[in-house]
Amino acid sequence: MNQSDVARFERVVLPHLDDAYTLARYLLRDEHDAQDVVQEAALRAYRYFGGYSGGDARSWLLAIVRNCSLTWLDRRKTDQRLVPFADVEGLEIAGGRDADAMAIESSERRRVERAIAALPVEFREVLVLREVEDMSYREISDVVGVPVGTVMSRLSRARKRLAALLVDAREAS
Amino acid sequence: MPCDQFRDSLDARLDGELTPDEARDVDQHLATCPTCAADYARLSATHQLLSENLMRYRAPDVLKARIRGALVDTGDAGALRVMPQRRSTWWRSLAAGIVIAGASSALTVAAMRGRPDAAPDELLSSHLRSLQPGHLTDVVSTNQHNVKPWFNGRVDVSPAVPNIDSLGFPLVGGRTDYVRGRAVPVIVYARRQHLINVYVWPTSDDTPSAPHPSSRNGYHFVTWRAAGLEYHAVSDLNAAELDTFAESFARAR
Repeated sequence: MNQSDVARFERVVLPHLDDAYTLARYLLRDEHDAQDVVQEAALRAYRYFGGYSGGDARSWLLAIVRNCSLTWLDRRKTDQRLVPFADVEGLEIAGGRDADAMAIESSERRRVERAIAALPVEFREVLVLREVEDMSYREISDVVGVPVGTVMSRLSRARKRLAALLVDAREAS
Repeated sequence: MPCDQFRDSLDARLDGELTPDEARDVDQHLATCPTCAADYARLSATHQLLSENLMRYRAPDVLKARIRGALVDTGDAGALRVMPQRRSTWWRSLAAGIVIAGASSALTVAAMRGRPDAAPDELLSSHLRSLQPGHLTDVVSTNQHNVKPWFNGRVDVSPAVPNIDSLGFPLVGGRTDYVRGRAVPVIVYARRQHLINVYVWPTSDDTPSAPHPSSRNGYHFVTWRAAGLEYHAVSDLNAAELDTFAESFARAR
């Protein structure tokens, strides 16, 4: 890599760091883990930058962030795939400690954050990519590495699961 | 049962993923089927709830600094490695003569002023070496409470690791390095795209000294002494900002 490659990487990839961090925050549910993983992913992206063919840089970076996040979760064995929703109450949900999140800490927002944190990671990722990152099915398919049809059915099931969790939460409170 | 063929298309309709023809077919069905219309309304409500309540996070500046710092680490390494080698072909013998001639007087001056012995050549080559891939940090952390204990058992001194993030100098991490034949702790900070290595070793001189700047080959050094330790900051950061860094570091202890 020479200087112009570094400059190109900074211009093309680094503008998407907020998106990368957002995805990692939702997948890992911890701000410090998210920082470490995004740093690792950015450096990995830099190393692979020679193989980047000039497509959508955001999808390309987010795919790397996703892979690093899943590896991290596997390694840490902290994935709460099977945690029943009631147990998630005590969990420190991503965003709960953020200064701006605290300022706006509406009960609605906390309810939604808790519900999404309780979803299995394969549902959580498509929901975040669609609803927060505002990606198309095609882009989500590139990030997650599954066919568009799978994205569609997974997203559909994810929304239904989330709606059910929100109803449960409302009835519980 | 016509509902079955549309049920799976409701999300795609909501997300604007259908062709105009497909969308029209779904809309026509929704207009005539209360069950599917109710499903679609529920789906829309969920979508709206999510888009209104899920937040987009901003990557913290510290993270951006760490990444840019690490890019300098890997990106400039090739250029930096080549430079001193190319120069050495002609000026090394000349420089050696000057060093021998100047060494005794320089050491005397340093001793007289009670200033820490900076060993700048060795620090500079260590600094350049640290910019090679994988050499910058052994422990990557923005948290001073992680970095400081990490040195325990690895080196025989316990350096100050102040948190001066609020002054624009985020902590990147730490490592151990060999300088003057001994393992020394190195604390790494960032300033925009520049990295600052702070080398620490013990000194027999207990009197504290104010930060003292110097420079070599376009790199800047600041050395100071506190609590029986010598601190040597090395960076390609401009001299004024490196001075600010050293003052902030020394004051924060």
